[in-house]
Amino acid sequence: MNVGVNSARLNLRLDGWRSRLLLIALVSCFAGLVGRAAWLQGFHSGFLQQKGEERYSRVIDMPASRGIIRDRNGQPLAISTPSESIWASREDVTLSPEQNRSLADLLHMDPRELAQRLNSGRGNFVYLKRQVAPEVAQQIMGLKITGLFQQHGFHRAYPKGEETAHLVGFTDADDHGQEGVELAYQKELGGSAGARRVIKDRAGHIIEDVESIRVPRPGQDIALSVDGRIQHLAYRELRNAVTVNRAKAGAVVILDTRTGEVLALANYPDYDPNNREHLSGAQLRNRAITDTFEPGSTLKPFTIATALEAGKVTPNTVIPTNGGQFTIGPSTIRDTHPFASLTVSQVIQHSSNVGAARIALSLPSETLWNMFTDVGFGQTPKLGFPGEAGGRVRPFRSWKPIEQATMSYGNGISVSLIQLARAYTIFANGGQLRPLSLTRVSTPPAGRQVISALTAREVTDMLELVVKPEGTAPAAQVKGYRVAGKTGTAHKVVGGRYANRYVASFVGFAPASAPRVLIAIMIDEPSGSSYYGGLVAAPAFSALMGNVLQMLAVPPDDPNSSLFDAPNVGTGSAEDT
Amino acid sequence: MTTTFATPRLLRSEYDLTLLWTILALLALGVVMVYSASIASAEADRHIGYRSTYFFMRQLIYVGVALLAGLVAFQVRVETWQKWAPYLFGAGLLGLALVLIPGVGKEVNGSRRWLSLVVFNLQPSEFMKCFVVLYAADYTVRKAAFMHSFKKGFVPMFIVMFLVGALLLREPDFGALAVMTAIAAAILFLGGLNWRLFVVLMAVLAVGFVLLVVLSPYRFNRLIWFWNPWADPFGKGYQLTHALIAFGRGGWFGVGLGASVEKQLYLPEAHTDFLMAVIAEELGFVGVIITIALFVFLVWRAFAIGNRAASMERYFAALTAQGVGVWMAVQTVVNMGVNMGMLPTKGLTLPLLSYGGSGIVANVVALAVLLRIDYESRQMMRGRAP
Repeated sequence: MNVGVNSARLNLRLDGWRSRLLLIALVSCFAGLVGRAAWLQGFHSGFLQQKGEERYSRVIDMPASRGIIRDRNGQPLAISTPSESIWASREDVTLSPEQNRSLADLLHMDPRELAQRLNSGRGNFVYLKRQVAPEVAQQIMGLKITGLFQQHGFHRAYPKGEETAHLVGFTDADDHGQEGVELAYQKELGGSAGARRVIKDRAGHIIEDVESIRVPRPGQDIALSVDGRIQHLAYRELRNAVTVNRAKAGAVVILDTRTGEVLALANYPDYDPNNREHLSGAQLRNRAITDTFEPGSTLKPFTIATALEAGKVTPNTVIPTNGGQFTIGPSTIRDTHPFASLTVSQVIQHSSNVGAARIALSLPSETLWNMFTDVGFGQTPKLGFPGEAGGRVRPFRSWKPIEQATMSYGNGISVSLIQLARAYTIFANGGQLRPLSLTRVSTPPAGRQVISALTAREVTDMLELVVKPEGTAPAAQVKGYRVAGKTGTAHKVVGGRYANRYVASFVGFAPASAPRVLIAIMIDEPSGSSYYGGLVAAPAFSALMGNVLQMLAVPPDDPNSSLFDAPNVGTGSAEDT
Repeated sequence: MTTTFATPRLLRSEYDLTLLWTILALLALGVVMVYSASIASAEADRHIGYRSTYFFMRQLIYVGVALLAGLVAFQVRVETWQKWAPYLFGAGLLGLALVLIPGVGKEVNGSRRWLSLVVFNLQPSEFMKCFVVLYAADYTVRKAAFMHSFKKGFVPMFIVMFLVGALLLREPDFGALAVMTAIAAAILFLGGLNWRLFVVLMAVLAVGFVLLVVLSPYRFNRLIWFWNPWADPFGKGYQLTHALIAFGRGGWFGVGLGASVEKQLYLPEAHTDFLMAVIAEELGFVGVIITIALFVFLVWRAFAIGNRAASMERYFAALTAQGVGVWMAVQTVVNMGVNMGMLPTKGLTLPLLSYGGSGIVANVVALAVLLRIDYESRQMMRGRAP
């Protein structure tokens, strides 16, 4: 035994009370801990849990799926599919060269660009790519790269692509409508995002789903008045007409004359709404609605209708046309094909500027102005489309006689194609003007009587003469149907002066005996063999109208007709300035 | 073996198996809870390669190494421990000095507590706690005759502990100093140091505390800010408020193993100093009670083993056993008290449970010595040599 133990034997006595006291003191401390724990966990826990909630419970948005845009037959024109956004936390991402390569591959990015995105730029958060297909996103997440995340959302797809691009429009990366119907009906299509309360960890990942605060309300589907098949025909025919005539652009509008529904609306040049990189303004323009042009002779029927309504003339009243010349002050109005005199009907058929001017000058300027305004010129058509143009009709008080004269054949006034199309429905529709509708209409809204049914019938008869062999647009004939329509060829105003550039147009409807379909077509700056509406726009009208009537199974009202070759086609019959 | 009818229950086994199972239960609970508490922070940690099992695997290895070390320590006779006590204490002092030498010591979070030994980091202060127990017990036995004397009984120990304290404060490691001071004082008290001395010490502390309140309310407030962590919940109260929220969320029965939200990067040091908060959140009041009960049983056994050794006049063994008990009790109480907002935050781990190699090995070695003391007592009661 060592010394320590020996001395302990002699001197050390471990008092029992000391160890007992110490043990009691220590166990009391433990008892204190038990009491404190009971207080924290049992009696004070409500307060603490509430504090916890405040720190890590978050309300997150649940994106609402956007409504589907369909055509009148239920065919989808715009649909939302789930898509992912890939984002990265710059601090946490370190890529090996192979990882960088395979990630860049999946993202369709240049590896160098990817590395640059990840390594430079402000902040920690960076979107690498938005609107990635779920399968691709899955592959990307399969690379197991830390610091890479995906975020759910929706991707908008447009099954008809270019055909409906201007009509349907598109949405931005945040799923808000930017153009076309997508913008016009944003409120209905958009729905409202829902909200959920979740618990997030400190890095922001959701670790627990607590409760739903607001269920996301998906957007409403919209059924357009447009018929996808007609739209397809319209787009194809327009593209063809613009290409064949080497034109700058073109637009076409097709209306159901009985309801005011828009059956088709197409523009060219176009773009693919599914792939909107490298877009130019020219491609984006919805010309039929946002662009105005001087309509030229397509306006003459309204001048004639005003005179008929005022009782100044009848269809057979003879108007002296003075060999196609009419001088007002310093200016002279000329006809391409001079006649000594023409009946009112012939003024339309041959598109005589002199005749129209003489008739216009027999009317008070206010009466003419009222007609233009009544059919909607100078006012936006209120379709809800972005950038709708109202056109321009100057106040009648400032009209000089020469201006009133030229306005009668569509110079010095500007309209959009859709305005022009709508105005023509008064002839097709017994004198009634209905509001246009982009959505399906079950009962047509009440129209406003602008001219008498008799006047409408009389003008329609005149318009039928236009497509006769002697008229300006025999090329607009449709086999089996009676067609009523009017050509237009107008100089474009460039820098305040009329230039040698033209807008060729044709507006017409069929069957003339009981009109169903109205087509307005406009070709901007044709630079082919001709620039006349009767040669540039009318053939496209004819092909399109024939197909549409067949598609809608409209019974022919002239089953025995055969297409007559107009003797004067190619010489630019009686055309206008 | 004498299997007579009258054999006392305790003598049926050569070891204190209940204590052994208690220790193993605490170690196992620790491994499970360290895993649960560390998954989120491991997955978010770039330096360890985002491996969710990083801390879990290491803790498993630490426990394995600790059990091996414990097995070796158990083979060492108590007599030998006593002989080595001054040298071990000296080695410990050297270790505490080494960590302060730049280039030798490793700094983590502003504290120089570690020696980098290629494959692992050694924390001398954890082992020093064990050596303080052995040294103080040996000291008390050696100075038994002077235990009534302030000069000869108290002052030498005070000087030695002052040296230890000076080194620990340089690291700094207040927690370890508090535990070691408590161990040394407790062993001196148990060894019969004049109780009036303790009364005086207590009185001095109390007066100092009152003076602080009166003379420097600002410092006093800094000392007791933890009474109201909600005054600055996102500043210095951040960690504590999150620990308290964990207790609150746990409620009576807990949110379930693995379901803690606080461990999701909110509560710093969830797998080390604040492991108790995670236990409280996931296992609730019930889990807290069970953990405390295991520790209380362990401490009670240490005192009982010490008392039996004392009754056999094995004083060094007795003081060592109770010293180990005091160590476990004080460190556990301080750690839990910090977790529950009853004590200011100090870097102290929960013995046997918290993540950390040095701590676990030192704890298990100390408990192996405790089991050895009990083993020798049983041998002697059977009339064999220890």
